[in-house]
Amino acid sequence: MILFESILDGIRDIKDHFGRTMLQLVGIILGAGSIVATFSLSVAGKTASMEYYRVSGGIQKIWVSNKPTGKVTLDAKALASKGLTYHDALVLKRDAKEIDLVSPVANENMTLRYRDIEKPRSIMGVTPAYSPMNDFHAGQGRFITDNDLATAARVVVLGTERAQEFFGSDDPIGKTLSINGTGYLVVGIMEEKYFSFDHKRNVMRWMNRQIYIPFTTFVTRKGDTLAQGKVSFMHVRMKDVKRNQEAVDEIKGILKREHGTKDFDVFSRVANLKRNEQNNQMYDMTFMICGIISLLVGGIVVMNIQLASFNERVREVGTRKAVGASPAQIFFQFLSETVLVSVVGGLLGIVVGKFFCDGIAALTRDPAAITVGTAVYALVFAAGTGLVFGMYPAMRASRLNPIEALRAE
Amino acid sequence: MGCRLSALGCREPQLASIASTPDSRHPRAKTMSALLQYEQPEPVAQKALIQLDEISKTYDSGENAVQALRGVDVAIEKGEFVAIIGPSGSGKSTLMHILGCLDTPTTGKYWLDGEDVAEMSARALARVRNQKIGFVFQTFNLLPRASILKNVELPLLYAGVGREERRDAAFKALQRVGLEKRAKHRPNELSGGQRQRVAIARALVNNPSLILADEPTGNLDQKTGSDIINIFEELAAHDETIVLVTHDPAIAARTQRRITLVDGEIVNE
Repeated sequence: MILFESILDGIRDIKDHFGRTMLQLVGIILGAGSIVATFSLSVAGKTASMEYYRVSGGIQKIWVSNKPTGKVTLDAKALASKGLTYHDALVLKRDAKEIDLVSPVANENMTLRYRDIEKPRSIMGVTPAYSPMNDFHAGQGRFITDNDLATAARVVVLGTERAQEFFGSDDPIGKTLSINGTGYLVVGIMEEKYFSFDHKRNVMRWMNRQIYIPFTTFVTRKGDTLAQGKVSFMHVRMKDVKRNQEAVDEIKGILKREHGTKDFDVFSRVANLKRNEQNNQMYDMTFMICGIISLLVGGIVVMNIQLASFNERVREVGTRKAVGASPAQIFFQFLSETVLVSVVGGLLGIVVGKFFCDGIAALTRDPAAITVGTAVYALVFAAGTGLVFGMYPAMRASRLNPIEALRAE
Repeated sequence: MGCRLSALGCREPQLASIASTPDSRHPRAKTMSALLQYEQPEPVAQKALIQLDEISKTYDSGENAVQALRGVDVAIEKGEFVAIIGPSGSGKSTLMHILGCLDTPTTGKYWLDGEDVAEMSARALARVRNQKIGFVFQTFNLLPRASILKNVELPLLYAGVGREERRDAAFKALQRVGLEKRAKHRPNELSGGQRQRVAIARALVNNPSLILADEPTGNLDQKTGSDIINIFEELAAHDETIVLVTHDPAIAARTQRRITLVDGEIVNE
């Protein structure tokens, strides 16, 4: 009961000294706002990254590519090795136990023509595995099939931008597209791939610009045998993300055996992810510490202003004690003032924090979203700051000697 | 008193009954009563409402120890209107602080309305001030940003009284000093004399045992000061106990009794 009245007293006192209260508020608002902004950014950044990974084929994807050995003089084996070939892909599929999908890709620039539109474009020779590997499927018609592969069919699948580019508003399916002079039947258009961090730029746009023909067609067209067919790079999918290192090692082992030399590179996202996570954690931590320091400064501001005001009100404290306020009652009155200011500041700080977030998001293209959790954190921190930093002035007021207080000017 | 003879398996009521019949047939009666007398406190003389016994106050700064009060004895009955008069430095402020439980004496006893307050803790003293003492200060000491009604309510707030009750009691107190019509005004809208009347209302609101006024007319002009003393006289006539500290003999002359302090000692009564 007395506690409640002390709080009401505190409210009235804050109303009376609104200017002072505003000053105290500023500190807390900035502090709480910073916490909201920093915490939100760290959470949001992680969410966006994970989403991007998922959309671009998941973190089970491993890249295998050609790489020069770096040796100045090549030994016989190195000379003999032809780099990555279709044969490697078959061997991996057969022997590697940690993986469940292999997608070899070959690419080259060729000239495309439809009616009077003629342009040089990059063409990719792929297997049916390409589609599930990249979570990229035909929107219209179909993708490359095993049959296409087996028969080295002259079929082509286009990305949405390419379809638009050559066929405009006509339906491309069933029409013939000329690639380096040879006619290919358009059998499918891919779905449109879209992902954006900032709702402005589509980071997956490059996929909409791709053109696929069966790998076998790509290779045999030049007269190579299939097994010799050079592969520009491969995607390999591991079965279990936890066994990332084993998968990578296995692939490396098999390829080394096949090539006799290490003229390839195996890259897994997972390792990258872990490294990124550590970097991010440091980044986040720094960010969050800034937010907390901000709030601490706010707390010191509150405390100082409370002390200053208390010095002004010494006479008043003396009077209250003379009419019988116990030290505890004085303590609660002053403490409740600071806590009240901090809570109000915290609430306002959440609003300000939202603006901070939006501002930073606009500048850095990093998405930021405020969750209920973050808001609660900010409020709790703000109230806690008020409590901790309000203790000292409240103690001093409660311990004031009434006689000296009444004598003061 | 407590039973110190518990080792013997006694219980207080039994003891009392045994002891009260000194020539009872109980074998232990004689021994018991003798021991009991040992245990009982000294017979208490009827104490005045305010009784100060051998009060001394020393402000200790090592070599510069200042004895503000030396062995002061004061007894004030209910309903008395007393002035404590003395020159500056006589110790009258110190005496007032002790009377008002704002300070504790270095030695001596202080009985206020049946309680020994000389050695109470800060918290206990606050309670005594709240319930038994009403202050009127030279500088009024009202809260500047609260209405005079809320000012008068202040002691009740700390006593834990509910809102409705507080407001009613405060209003009644303001009526006693004739300011109920300005209950919602702030102190800075009132004259000096009116402010002092608010202070008096505040001092009365908790039905104190003692009203302590420290130079209440010090900041007022002659006429207004006289009006204030009129109010005190009226309160005294209604059986309020009032102690007024002043250096002005003219004011002191209007009280029933004067205690003169010089150099920390009572010089005459």
